[in-house]
Order: sequence, then structure tokens, then C-alpha cells
Amino acid sequence: MAARAGNRITSTVREAFASPLAAFLSVISAVAALALFWSAVNWLVVGAVWPWQAPDVCRTSSGICWPFLVEKTRFILFGTYPFALQYRPAIVSLMLIVLSVVTCRRLAAGGPAPDARGLALVWFAVIVVAFVLMGGGVFGLAEVDPVRWNGLPILLMLSIVAVVLAAPLGILLALARVQAGYPLLARLSAAYIETARGVPMLTVLFVGIFVLPLTLPEGTKVSPVTATLVALIFFHAAYFAEDVRGGLLGLPVGQGEAARALGLSYWQATRLVILPQALRRSLPSLVNSTIGAYKDTSLVVVVGIHDLTATARMSFGDPVWRNNALEAYALVGLWFFLSCGFLSAIGRKLHKSARS
Amino acid sequence: MRFTIRKCTCIQDASVTQVYMLPMIPPSAPPPIGTHLRTADIAVAGLVLGIVVLAMWNILANMSAAGISPGFDFLWQEAGFDVSEALIPYQPSDSYARVILAGLLNTVFLASICLVVSTLVGVAFGLISVGPSPVGRAVAMAYVELFRNLPKLLVLLVLYVVAVNGLPHVRQAISLGPIYLSNRSVAFPVIIFGEGAWIPFAAALAVVAIAACRKYLRRRSAEAHDNSRTERVIIAAALVLLPVLTMLIFGVRIDVSVPELKGFDFSGGGRLSTQFLVIVMTLGLYHGAQIAEVVRGGLKAIPVGQTEAAAALGLKRRQTVRFVILPQVLRLILPPMNNQYVNLIKNTSIAIAVGYSDLMSVSGTIINQTFKPLEMMLITMGLYLGLCACLTTLTNRYHARLTKREGR
Repeated sequence: MAARAGNRITSTVREAFASPLAAFLSVISAVAALALFWSAVNWLVVGAVWPWQAPDVCRTSSGICWPFLVEKTRFILFGTYPFALQYRPAIVSLMLIVLSVVTCRRLAAGGPAPDARGLALVWFAVIVVAFVLMGGGVFGLAEVDPVRWNGLPILLMLSIVAVVLAAPLGILLALARVQAGYPLLARLSAAYIETARGVPMLTVLFVGIFVLPLTLPEGTKVSPVTATLVALIFFHAAYFAEDVRGGLLGLPVGQGEAARALGLSYWQATRLVILPQALRRSLPSLVNSTIGAYKDTSLVVVVGIHDLTATARMSFGDPVWRNNALEAYALVGLWFFLSCGFLSAIGRKLHKSARS
Repeated sequence: MRFTIRKCTCIQDASVTQVYMLPMIPPSAPPPIGTHLRTADIAVAGLVLGIVVLAMWNILANMSAAGISPGFDFLWQEAGFDVSEALIPYQPSDSYARVILAGLLNTVFLASICLVVSTLVGVAFGLISVGPSPVGRAVAMAYVELFRNLPKLLVLLVLYVVAVNGLPHVRQAISLGPIYLSNRSVAFPVIIFGEGAWIPFAAALAVVAIAACRKYLRRRSAEAHDNSRTERVIIAAALVLLPVLTMLIFGVRIDVSVPELKGFDFSGGGRLSTQFLVIVMTLGLYHGAQIAEVVRGGLKAIPVGQTEAAAALGLKRRQTVRFVILPQVLRLILPPMNNQYVNLIKNTSIAIAVGYSDLMSVSGTIINQTFKPLEMMLITMGLYLGLCACLTTLTNRYHARLTKREGR
């Protein structure tokens, strides 16, 4: 065992210096990697101020300030949500995370979303419960203004709910776009998809915040959270539609024709024959789009919604903690790295099963 | 001699490329209208139209209730706010139309610099990730993995904090010769041309035009040769000598403006704000990681047999890359690269988060001032759409040329 590991190391070293170019690249990369590693060690270990030390020490040290994280982690997670009621966003976050993980693992396990109807019902229930728990005002729960829905729960609600609701809309758009017999429908859908994909997400968010309330009858009030959510749903749907269309176009025409020849109606053929196959084909790129949508949700800070990135930015606004921006951002970065890493792993697994 | 080995242009290593190749579905031509429209089709279109009309009706009602009249007249009113940096002369007393133009130019400038930087970073890491060094491969993989899993806004904010806290104040600016780096900006000397500067520029332009014309005519004629080496030397020499000669003959003055510390800031010279540099770094690294994956996918998709066949034909390493590998890789990666570039143009809008006056942040300010969200968003979205469409048209044309060449 040890000998084999030793062999591998020797062969790797030999490969690293096999030619002048290889040696040059190896040395440069090794130096860069070591320099980065050394500064990371310096920040995390050598200069670190440990949680049990006094916060004042942070001012003179160059490393990570654990007292800051001890003090502010709860604020970064839940923001200005009433302190005594923070169990509610905690439950909402936990619920959404658990359900997302379960759904992803089921998808990765294979088959076209086993028990899709049950899962959809659970999702619907959880989304409703999430909004009720966050907002309160019923069942004796104290009411909380949406402006105070901050941090992790709002990030999860906006990203997960938007993705979950954008998916069916995207499927409908994709189906509409490939209808050769309905030219008006196909053109409308194509025009919508191409427009949404050709503009930055921020412009769509601005439309949601500023224009959407204007399009409703006079006197109707829309909270910024709802407006943003609607904008995100319509924006992501265009991207999902293109992914699904990729799967639809990859399907042999015979599949649909055979289903219709068997006497299935259009919707039956689509639901039972076309979509299960097309969706399985497009799952890898759907996962890719989902990761992008999840990461981009952090842009909602521009329209005044305080998600995880925004609460991190607020957490070091306090003059006492002015120099602790990196700690706050590191926490957020770690969260994104882990959650996106999980999604990427699911994507890789799907990709493998799609190929075999 | 041109070598094109036509057989194996299929994508071999699907695991690498497929994720990036999938989004580029050919835009299928829409079905023809007219022969026989179905009732259902008309009904759905009518429904959409109805919703749009209803929305417009509500917008008009809401606006008149708020005492605002819709329309684009506001574009000619005085803007009254300043932008942090503009490529065209701009004062707060100029019109809204002009400030939108300034923002658009900033976006175009920012996007083109980011495009170059991210391509350089991406190609470098893409090459390293298929290169001979295992250490380099590991580092390239780690880089790609890191930036694929972080939101670009977070990267931007971290780099901004590091730049503002890490770089010295203006008065203690780091100086690299005549270049000064501080936490507010980087100031550098620029060349200022005196009167009549258009003459040498025109001369240079004429040389380029003549060379382009020759090349075009050559391509249209039967034998398709590239310019010979002597010809290239002549063109390069003309490009340098003609402007210099005309400059001497007409006595055009050239001055160099060097930045100097005056009071609280630098005056003279050119400057790029920290915000600008931080956005370029963010998008360069962020899209660099994705372009590295595209390049790696393209390189992996070329079968080893191609290199071996080229070697068997007696081609040198350089010739193999130039005539066999590069044409195939280029054709393969151009569509996903276009995707990346379009995303990059759209992503320059995150500049609003650090206060660089690009199109997005300018239009945000205008909305707050005039409360014309519908008009402003139509303009902004239209401009972004136009920019992306221009780029896509260019790459499509180039792609068509590449495929045509191969087909011959």
C-alpha cells in the first residue's frame, strides 16, 4: 500500500518535471498555490483571535476575528427579524433546505421524479407554510413586516421558490416554442424567451420592483419580496425553457407520433411519453441553470432586499467591527461554496446516469 | 498548404463538453404564418394581447393618479446628477439622454476590457488544465471549482473591500514610475495630441484599409493564400512609418500628461477608478473560470488521432497546432464562447453594487429622480439587447466563415 502510494508520488513528480515547459508550469503553480495556502494559514491560524479572547484584541491582530463571528453570526443569518421570534425563520430555512436536499437526492437516484405528485404537494404545502411562518398575522403568530425578512431565509425563499415555480412555467414555454402548428404561440414564446435571456437580471428585478406594481389596478399593494419573487420566476423560466427545449429537440420525432398513433391525446402524449424523456435529457443543464439562478439571487440586494450577502455587509457597518468585512464574507462564501458544491455533485451524478 | 482532416469533428469526451454545449440549440426558424391559423392559436395570442393591454391601461391609470404623464420627453430635461467617470464630456447640466449615452459608453468600455481580460485568463487556465504539469492541472481545477461555486456579487464585494482597505490613501499612493496606485484610483500618464492629430491617424487608417482591401480581394480570387511574410513586414513598417512621417512633416505636437498630486487628489494624466478595476478583476476571474472550462472542453474534444495523423504527415508541432488543432477547436468553442461573452455583457450590470456609473446604475438613478420606470426600463433593456445582439451577429458571422472554410 505504502509502496504503491510512494510509486504514485514518484511518477507524479517525474511527470511534473518531464519537460522544461512542464517544470516551468509546475514551479509557477506550486509557488502560487503555496503563497495562497500560506496567507490562508496566516489568516486562519497564526494571526487568529480565538473565540475566548477579548474582542479588543482583534484591532491589533491580522487574522480572523472569531469574537466577531460569535457576536454577529446570528445577525448575518436572520438580520433584523425580531430577535425573540427568530425560531420562525430558522424553521423555514431548515424546512426548505431539507426538502431541497431530499428532492435533489431523489432526482439523482434515477427515474423521472418518482412520485412526482406527492413531492409537488409537499412543495406546495411547504411554500405556503414558509410564507405564513415568516409573515405571521394568523394562528396567533405575531405579524412581521416583509422588510424584516432578512438573511438566509429570504435567500432560500427567493431562490428555491423561484426555481420551483419557474420550472413548470419554463416547461410550458418550451412546449409552446416547439409547436409547429401554432405559429403565433411559438413566436410569442420565442420572443419572450430571447428577450428575457438578452437582458441582465438586474433590469428584470427593476421591472419587478418599479413597473409591476404599476400594472396592477389602482390601490393594490405589492410587497418588494413578492414583486422580486415574481420577477425571478419569469426570468428563470426563460432559461429553464431553453434547457427543456434542448431535451425536446433531442427526442426522436417518432416518440410523439407513436404516442399519438396509439390514440393518446396531445396532453396525454406529452405528459406520459414526451416530457419524461425530454426532462431526463435536459436535467444536467437544468441543474446548471439552477446553480446559476441560486447564485444570482444574491443580486436582489440591489433592489433593497437584505439577503445573506446584504446582512453580511450590514454586520460590519457597526464602527466597532469596521475591519471585519472578510470574516462576514467568508461565512457567506462558505455557505455558497457548500450549497453549490452539493448541487454540482448532484449535477455530475445526473450526467453520469444520463450517459449510461 | 491547408490541412483539414474532416472525419472526426464529433465531440468525443461528452462528459466535459456536454454541459457547455447543451445551451446552444440552433434557433429553429419559426413556422410560417398565414396558411391556416387555428382558433386555439388566435385565442392564446389574443389572451396575451389582452393581458398586455390591461397592464398598459392600469399603468396609465396609476400614472395619471400620481400626476405623471407618460412619454419620452424627459430625456431632454436637465439630468442634474454627476457620474463618477465618463468617456465623453459630461456635466450635471446636460440632458438625461446624454447621461444615458455616457452610461452606455461606460458599459461598452467596461465590457470590452472585461472581455479581453477574461479571455486571456480563461485561455491560460484552460491550456494549463490540459497541460503537461500535474501541479498546474490541480491548481487550474481548484480555481475553476472555486469560482463556479461563488456568486459574482460576493467576489466583487470581497475584492472591493480588499482594494479599499488594502491599498494606501491618495497621499501615500504606491508609485510605479509615473503610475500611481491608491485606494481611490490608478493614475497614469497619457499622450495628448496637439492640433492636426487627425493626419497621422488618417494615414494609419489608410494603411489598414488598403491591407484589408487586398486581403478581401485575395480571398475572393481563386487561390486562397494568406499574406506572405514580406508583405506583412511592409504593412507593419508602413503602419509605423507613415504616421511618424506625416507627424514630422505637418509638425503635430505630442505632449505627455503626467499625473501629479495636488491637494487631495491627482490631477492630469488618465485615471481608472478602483471600482472599475475591481469589476474588471471580478468579471475577469469569474468568467475566466467558465471560459477555461469551455477551452478545456474544446481541447479535450479533439481526438488524439488528429495530432498523431498530423505528426505522421510530417507536420511540426507549431504547424499541427496552427493548421489542425486550432481551426477545429475554434469552430467547436465559438458558440459556447459567445454564450459566455453575452453573459459577461449582461453581468457588467453588477457595477451598480460598487457605484460605477454604467448603463444600469445611471438608469437606476434616473428612475429614482424622474419616476419614469417603464420608459427607462424599455430604453435600458433595449440597449442591452442591442449590445448582445450585435455581439451574437458578429460571432455567428465568424462561425459561418469558419465552417464554410472547412467545408471547402
